[in-house]
Amino acid sequence: MDSVLILENLCLGYNKVIYREINASANKNEIIALVGPNGIGKSTLLKSIAGIQKYRSGAIRVLNRELRSYPPSRLAGQLSFVPSQSPRAKNFSLFDMVATSCYNRTNWLGKISERDYEFIYSTLKRVSLEGFAERDSSQLSDGEFQRAAIARSLVQDSKIILLDEPTAFLDIANKITITRLLKEIAEQENKTIVFSTHDLQHALKICDKIWIMGHNQFFCGEPQSLIEKGAFEQMFKDSSLKFDPKLFTYN
Amino acid sequence: MKLKRSYYREYAIITLLLLVLIVLNLILGSVIIPIKDIASALFGSNAPDYVSDIIFSFRIPKLITAIMAGVALSICGLQMQTLFKNPLADPYILGISSGAGLGVAFFVMGFSAFGINLPSSLFVNLGIATSAWIGAFAITLLIMLVSYRLKDNISLLIFGLMLGSAVSALISLFQYFSSSSALKMYVLWTMGSFSGLNPGQIWIMFVLILIGFGLSVYNIKDLNTLLMGEAYAKSLGVNLENTRRRILVATTLLAGSVTAFCGPIGFIGIAVPHIARLFFRNADHKILIPATALLGAVIMVFADTVAQLPGQSGIIPINTVSALIGVPIILVIILKNRFV
Repeated sequence: MDSVLILENLCLGYNKVIYREINASANKNEIIALVGPNGIGKSTLLKSIAGIQKYRSGAIRVLNRELRSYPPSRLAGQLSFVPSQSPRAKNFSLFDMVATSCYNRTNWLGKISERDYEFIYSTLKRVSLEGFAERDSSQLSDGEFQRAAIARSLVQDSKIILLDEPTAFLDIANKITITRLLKEIAEQENKTIVFSTHDLQHALKICDKIWIMGHNQFFCGEPQSLIEKGAFEQMFKDSSLKFDPKLFTYN
Repeated sequence: MKLKRSYYREYAIITLLLLVLIVLNLILGSVIIPIKDIASALFGSNAPDYVSDIIFSFRIPKLITAIMAGVALSICGLQMQTLFKNPLADPYILGISSGAGLGVAFFVMGFSAFGINLPSSLFVNLGIATSAWIGAFAITLLIMLVSYRLKDNISLLIFGLMLGSAVSALISLFQYFSSSSALKMYVLWTMGSFSGLNPGQIWIMFVLILIGFGLSVYNIKDLNTLLMGEAYAKSLGVNLENTRRRILVATTLLAGSVTAFCGPIGFIGIAVPHIARLFFRNADHKILIPATALLGAVIMVFADTVAQLPGQSGIIPINTVSALIGVPIILVIILKNRFV
């Protein structure tokens, strides 16, 4: 099976190296969790793949084409990015917020086509925000706003969706709603989803693959094989943390 | 399926307000002209000579200048606020108007510092406008060059602030060494004025502002994506460097031209976009750009009308009026809304 996204010997950073030797891949319909200690460079990795940040060396291949050879507007058709905390603009309606993602399909003034109208409304329904279109996006709850951001990247209609800590500020109920939604989207809409998270337990239960940015090595694989390899023990520098393969947690 | 609301009612109210203020503006002044004389002067029938004289060679040019200045400064402020994600950003904060001030100070007081007397008043007028424009453009160019290095907007804003302070210091130095007549000329320019522009100057100003306005309308789409943060805008394929450059060019064209011809007029650029947001309750720039332009015209014509109120005893400097109108509005917005 052809991988949609391939990272080869990727070295992150620009002026100074942040992380080196990342080798990983992602396939269609897969949902992948990116885990690792704070400050290791998870955001940097996602932003590098999204083309927002430059990387130092190695290769990122998106649908069999080198990332750097994409014109920005074409790349936006293949990859969408959900930042960990988007600024909220007061009095910007949810519809208008989601509609900004039609950027590459609209005319110079950003006029939304009839087809995109339907698409936006059906997507809002898809993320259970039906009837919210005219609401002020800055007044949404954190969980609702995160679903709105997911709707935005669905409307962007890219094959790959990258999310930077989509569940970081949410309560458990919202965390589960969001990750379930992402899982459904990956399976039903033929997307590839990569999201960073600290919620290892939940990620191991639902994800097809895990990317681990360990303190000195990068791992990519299915949850069970990573557990058997002992990859999780190498995630943190502190070797006294032992991974419990049954409870999916450290003790 | 389309649930989008329209804003015809809001636009109509503001347009009506603008028309009322325009009529009021034509009536008031050192001489109060009755409305029927104005109507007959405008629509061709027998108005007294002095009336058509005042209306056509003084009040209408001044009115047109005020409207252009209001529109230009306001949409300039709106774009700055979105670009810098700062509700208090406007051309003055970025140092563009102090650049214009430096140009004028250089021209007016530089001559006197070298002991040269300034000749005819036409030369002085054109010289002031040109040097203000060059000053504004030079500062914008500097900010653009720095913006290659300073990638984030807050640093750029701070750079603009510091630049403005440095320029003010230079101007004080000029003031210290200049003659009292040159100093007076400079101070008069800083008070701002919409009168005294000849038709040629008004046309130049019109063309420059029209281009700036066109560019601002073209910026609408990118401005909307910027509302959701730079990382997101970039992930959509927006060329941020280009967008930033386009906004800065539009800003110089708009604010630079107004400052060149009318002097540095403060507070309108900050206040008007906030009034537009308050009144329209929509952050979409497709709504906000026309709304801000219209409201800018309203506020500026209002300010100019207030400036005429002393009647025969003179005119209040426009900067005094704009500060008296603008500052309370800004304070109310800060206290009530806690920013954008």
